[in-house]
Amino acid sequence: MKNWLKFLIVAVVVGIITVITVLWYINKPNKDIEKATAEYTLNADDLYKQYSDNKAIADSLYNGKVIEINGKISIIEAPSDTFVVAVFTQKQDTTQLKTDDLFGDLNAEGGIRCTMLQNHCEGTKNTAPNSVVKIKGLCKGMQGTDLIFVKCSIVK
Amino acid sequence: MKTILRFVTVFLMLTSCVFAQKYITKNGKINFYSDAPMEKIEAKNNEVKAALDASTGDIVFQVLITSFEFKQALMQEHFNENYMESPKFPNSTFKGKINNLKDINFSKNGKYNAVIEGDLTIHGVTKKVKQNGSLEVKDAKVIATSKFNLAVKDYNINIPSAVAGKIAEKVQVTVDVTMDQKK
Repeated sequence: MKNWLKFLIVAVVVGIITVITVLWYINKPNKDIEKATAEYTLNADDLYKQYSDNKAIADSLYNGKVIEINGKISIIEAPSDTFVVAVFTQKQDTTQLKTDDLFGDLNAEGGIRCTMLQNHCEGTKNTAPNSVVKIKGLCKGMQGTDLIFVKCSIVK
Repeated sequence: MKTILRFVTVFLMLTSCVFAQKYITKNGKINFYSDAPMEKIEAKNNEVKAALDASTGDIVFQVLITSFEFKQALMQEHFNENYMESPKFPNSTFKGKINNLKDINFSKNGKYNAVIEGDLTIHGVTKKVKQNGSLEVKDAKVIATSKFNLAVKDYNINIPSAVAGKIAEKVQVTVDVTMDQKK
C-alpha cells in the first residue's frame, strides 16, 4: 500500500474518532444520581449545621456533590403524583431571621428539601412521617433557610 | 365580660383573615428556552420559592441558579460557571407588586389578568421590570403564570464571541407557580 494511502486512512480514522469524542463530550447526559456512589454520608442535622455555621465552606465542600443523608423525615409534600419532596425539617434561630420580607414565615420553616426522582415518588409518599430514612441526592446549595437536594432516591 | 369576649372574638376573626391572605410555595416552576440558529437551550427549575400577600399585592420569588436542570451536562456546567457565575451569584430574586390588585378577587375562584411590576435581580444586576401574567384563584391556591423574554446582556451575562452565534440574545422565561394559602 502506498504511503499516502496509509496516511489518508489513518487521518480519516483519527478524524472520525475525534468527531465522535467531541460529539459525545458535548451531548454527554447528566450523571445518573441514583446509580452514582455517594461522596459523603452525613446526618441531616450535622449537614444542615455545617451550612448554618459557615455557608462558604459548606458550599465548597458539598455543592454539586452526591450525598447520602440520614435522618428523620418530618414532612412529605406531594403536589402531584410525579412530584414529591421529602423534608428534613430543621429548627431555626428565629432571632436571626429577617422579618421584613414576605419570606419571613417561609424562612421559619427551613430544612433539607429533597426533590425525589419520579420512580421514588410513590415509595416516598408511603413513608410514614417521622420515619428515619437514608436519602441519596445531588446537593444544589442553600436557598434562604432551605438546603436543596434534587434527583433524590430512598436508599434501602 | 360579654364586651371583652365580643372584642376578643372580633379581633381573632380579623387577624385570622389577615393571616389567610398569604400564599406560599417552595415548589414553583421556572423554565427558560432559547432557540438560536445552531443550538436550542432549555432548562427547568422546580424548586422556586414564592410568596404572595393578597392584602397588599406584594409578590416575591427566589430562584436558586444551580437548580436549573439541562439535558446536557456540559451545557449545565457552562451555564453555572461561565455565564451565570452561580458560586458568586447563587440566587435570582424578584420583589414586586401586583399593580391591578383591585381587579383580583382572592375569595372567588377564577382566572385574572395581573400586571406585576418590581425589581428583578439576575447575576447581581437589578432591573425594574413590568410584566403581564395571570393569577388563577382555585380554592385555597393561587396559580401564577407568566411568559416573557429577557435580554441576557441587560444582566451583564457575557457570551464569549466564539459561541455568540450559538446562543440567542433573548431567552424566553416561563413561570408557573402554584401557591398554597398559608395556614
